[in-house]
Amino acid sequence: MEGVMNSAIIISILATGIRLATPYLLAALGEMFTQRSGVYNLGVEGIMMMGAFAGFFATLHSGSPLMGIVASLLIGALMGLLMALVSVTFKAEQGISGIGLYMLGWGLSGLLYRLYVGGITSIDGLKTIKIPLLSDIPFLGPIIFDQNVLVYTALVLVPLSGFILFKTSWGLNVRAVGNKPEAADTLGVSVERIRYQCLILGGMLAGLAGAFLTIGQANMYADNITAGRGFIAIALVYFGRWSPWGILLGSLLFSMADSFQSMVQVLGINFPYELAVILPYVVTIIALAISFGRVWAPAALGKPFQRGTRG
Amino acid sequence: MVEKIQNLEMSGITKRFPGVLSNNNVNIHIVAGEVLAILGENGAGKTTLMNILYGLYQPEAGTISVNGKSVRINSPSEAIQLGIGMVHQHFMLVPTLTVCENVILGLSKTFLVDLKTATKRIKEIMDRYGLAINPEAYVWQLSVGEQQRVEIVKALYRGANLLILDEPTAVLTPQEAKELILLLKNMSAQGNSIILISHKLHEVMAVSDRVTVLRDGEVCADVNTQDTSQEALAKLMVGRDMAPCKRDGKFSPGKPVLELQDVFAKGDMGTNALAGVSLSIREGEILGIAGVSGNGQKELAEVIAGLRKVSKGKLVLNGKESTKMSPAKIIEQGLGYIPEDRLHVGTIPSFSIWENLILKDHNKPPFAKRSLLQNRVIMSHGLSLVEKYGIKTPNLETPTGRLSGGNIQRVILAREITRSPVALVAAYPTRGVDIGATEYLHSKLLEARSNGIGVLLISEDLEELTSICDRIAVLYEGQIMKVMPVEETDERILGLLMAGIVEEASI
Amino acid sequence: MKRVLALILAALTLLAFTGCGTNTNKSAETTPATKVEKVRIALVLPATVDDLAWGQSMVEGLKVVQKTMGADKVEIATSEKLGSAVDAGAAIRQYATQGYDIILAHGSQYQSVLMDIAKDFPKTTFAYGSGFATAPNIFAYDPQAQDGGYLLGILAAMTTKSGIVGIIGPVESGDAVKYNYGVQQGVAKGKADVKSRIAYTGSFNDIVGAGNLAKTQMSAGADILTGSSQQAVGAMRAVAETKGNYWLSTDMDQSSIAPDHVLAAQVYRWEKVVTKIIDLRKQGTLGGQHLILSLADGTIELKYNDKLADKIPAEAKAAVEQAKADIISGKLKVELPKK
Repeated sequence: MEGVMNSAIIISILATGIRLATPYLLAALGEMFTQRSGVYNLGVEGIMMMGAFAGFFATLHSGSPLMGIVASLLIGALMGLLMALVSVTFKAEQGISGIGLYMLGWGLSGLLYRLYVGGITSIDGLKTIKIPLLSDIPFLGPIIFDQNVLVYTALVLVPLSGFILFKTSWGLNVRAVGNKPEAADTLGVSVERIRYQCLILGGMLAGLAGAFLTIGQANMYADNITAGRGFIAIALVYFGRWSPWGILLGSLLFSMADSFQSMVQVLGINFPYELAVILPYVVTIIALAISFGRVWAPAALGKPFQRGTRG
Repeated sequence: MVEKIQNLEMSGITKRFPGVLSNNNVNIHIVAGEVLAILGENGAGKTTLMNILYGLYQPEAGTISVNGKSVRINSPSEAIQLGIGMVHQHFMLVPTLTVCENVILGLSKTFLVDLKTATKRIKEIMDRYGLAINPEAYVWQLSVGEQQRVEIVKALYRGANLLILDEPTAVLTPQEAKELILLLKNMSAQGNSIILISHKLHEVMAVSDRVTVLRDGEVCADVNTQDTSQEALAKLMVGRDMAPCKRDGKFSPGKPVLELQDVFAKGDMGTNALAGVSLSIREGEILGIAGVSGNGQKELAEVIAGLRKVSKGKLVLNGKESTKMSPAKIIEQGLGYIPEDRLHVGTIPSFSIWENLILKDHNKPPFAKRSLLQNRVIMSHGLSLVEKYGIKTPNLETPTGRLSGGNIQRVILAREITRSPVALVAAYPTRGVDIGATEYLHSKLLEARSNGIGVLLISEDLEELTSICDRIAVLYEGQIMKVMPVEETDERILGLLMAGIVEEASI
Repeated sequence: MKRVLALILAALTLLAFTGCGTNTNKSAETTPATKVEKVRIALVLPATVDDLAWGQSMVEGLKVVQKTMGADKVEIATSEKLGSAVDAGAAIRQYATQGYDIILAHGSQYQSVLMDIAKDFPKTTFAYGSGFATAPNIFAYDPQAQDGGYLLGILAAMTTKSGIVGIIGPVESGDAVKYNYGVQQGVAKGKADVKSRIAYTGSFNDIVGAGNLAKTQMSAGADILTGSSQQAVGAMRAVAETKGNYWLSTDMDQSSIAPDHVLAAQVYRWEKVVTKIIDLRKQGTLGGQHLILSLADGTIELKYNDKLADKIPAEAKAAVEQAKADIISGKLKVELPKK
């Protein structure tokens, strides 16, 4: 096996791993914000499908993937707003609302595609951008600095999310609202507003994650294009313990394992493919099982906030 | 800028909740530098009144005026702007944030959080009132007393000069309570006004300048503290003469009915919640377990009831080893159990009273014959218990969850005592129960004692423990600090032991 | 308010699903009531009608049938996205109840539900594939995917410059296994030192995953790729982004969206199969036959992309044509995977 794993192959595995990690990273960072504010949005998959469609559709008609990105952010924000309306304002059970949103996103994206596009069509999506100087770094250069703009965005969002969450006033409010909304409420922090903002932000990032699939990878659209990636992103939020760096770690671990197993299959290394395709899941579960330390789930996660009726 | 509250008045306040008139034409007033105690039983409307003052509820009628000007307080933030701060009974702190972050939460309007300036201001406030907490510590790392101080700092940081404290000592050890009282006196001496909500008479006597007594949502007295007494206040609060229960001097315990030998058990977090507990409860005695809750009380009760696994050690119930018995077997072996969570563990809230009364015996005669429930027997049994234990309910079909705390406790007590157990474990039976019901529960526990039942009473209320227990054991961090006959204890010794200080307590 | 919102949401979702779920050919339904003998055909698909693969190839076939026989003679109804056999079962039963004459359950996974349902509708003709088990009113159709695969394999082996042919597999089952096995044999026959490499995504419809797997294949040296199932278009699109790499289609001609990269295609001519089923039914045979799609009867065709004719060496084309003739004449028999 050492023989076939030369450095070009290893670079290919790692570069692919980073590319594969991008949709998980985008969606999971968004979901991290919504969960940090106390709402779990199981509709990420549905939002991603809508984002995938919107990104594809706008790119198809404008010829510019940039318009695709804008469209996916808008539709993601709208879907997040809808989730907020249902789960925050109307206080519907979050799990059910999320699944509803997923179904809606799935059905609606398929319907819109059928109505406005029809058969399989392909687009010119995002091109990779070599970052000058950095892409010349041996080994690391071609792995990290020869990707498309959404990959860079996702990577930059990791430290940025950490900064927003832990250093800004808004981040402080988010953490408070997700852990003890009644405390935030008594101090004049609007629980509803923060949750709306987080759901919209999470929706935008999920939309972007979806757009990455159509305009950053497949350059086409098909029904059920997300194929469960939104649900994996949600799992990665738990894996990452609601921290951006943890989510980065989880996304990379999962995607690197995925990239590795593809290469193992392609190189014809004698390994049952059934086991190969589940390798990413197995690695992630094992990592989760052996990692230690206290789990800090946001204490108010899943609980609609309502001011007490009797003190 | 906040104008200092020189005097504040609430007049004619009326607040209704579905089916309850919580406040009826209530008037209170307070001036700068004064400590006003609002005294009343649970459900008297104290907390509702204070939530109105803090802007959490809107009254149907009545006005609030500050320094002679009428004000409307629509939200907590408006209350804060007026200089009113509130320390809730259940702390409004975010455990995963630091002290400093908790204090500035909601105030920080800049893009970035400026923790440095905030920390400096917090230190200034703490110096002024002699408070000491590390602003960088996470709230979950702090003791309950420290968390309470964070709440006070939080209010002061916002410029509060009228502070409302809702049952502030309910969660504190006696020492912490004493420190709090000193702090409150210090604060009022510096010109702040304090409203203290309480139903603890001695504390009201110790700290307040004036007492307003609420009963059934109405003010029934407004007196200067120095002109009144504990007995007089108790009578005002309950509306009749009180005869506090005391155990009689006779104490002739029999053979041990429940023994714990070097018991270890894990808590929910996986750490040792019980670390080598040895106890022996004998026929006809009440053994009290004192301690701040969270030191293994819950686990102790659960281990005895068979609801939690013993990791090491041995339990003997009524002469048989019960370490590995199932809960059902333990019940059969003669254990009665009044759990801490009376609503969800002690009863099934959606079940009717008659169902809850036979919960442990529904499959045995006379309540069941060949797996069929015997309704006539069950109903007459239920009716007799409702009458005997004074359970206030429209009928036997009422879901138990609809009853008040005191009445639910009566249902459990009725069920457990009529089963004539050999040993009875009661965890915080009077927590959140009003004085009248407390008195009744105490008399029933004493009655059980004179019937030869061995009672284990877990409580945080030292007055309760010293008035009805024969012996008191102090539980601290999963270990028994000491077991003493009640005659050899006082609040000071118990308080020190509850804080884990053994040396000073033995002097 | 909450309830109203929930209802609106539910309605929207339902609309979204049914909107693209069922599609009855209205033009056929609204024909005047003159008693024309009409064949009513219902099609149940695991994926979509426009997947540019298995599903769409059948849809196109039905369109041809309708065109040849006349729109007033054939009515077609389609239900798509019925990947779960249970959901598909409900749709199939409904079509049977509505009196459709022929119900095509276009997937091997529908075999067992069909066996169950067909008993209750003895006068209806059912068909499914790929498969071979039949019943008195069930046809099983069965493309000899390995034959076309074999030809494409020879073509790939003799055209590749890198010496590596990459196969993108969905899941190791059904039609895909037969096709892949045929390609592998063809590659081995075409040129001894050319390697074929198979990798699976573990899914039928993950176009993104298939695209990524194709990229990995290419980075490891493959310059001619192929693969079956509806996810294959994702792999083909990834190939189309590169220069000098080519794709071989199966099920239908996919060159429409990658005209510069699809060299050739194995095409299923479903119209011939469906016409045969219609004819058999007219003669009173409601089922019970195992219908094989093969190069011999023209139900499988090999189609070259004229645009890329110059990319295929002449000897490669000759070798493919020779092999095709041998298969048709029965001289050559492409092996099926064991088991």
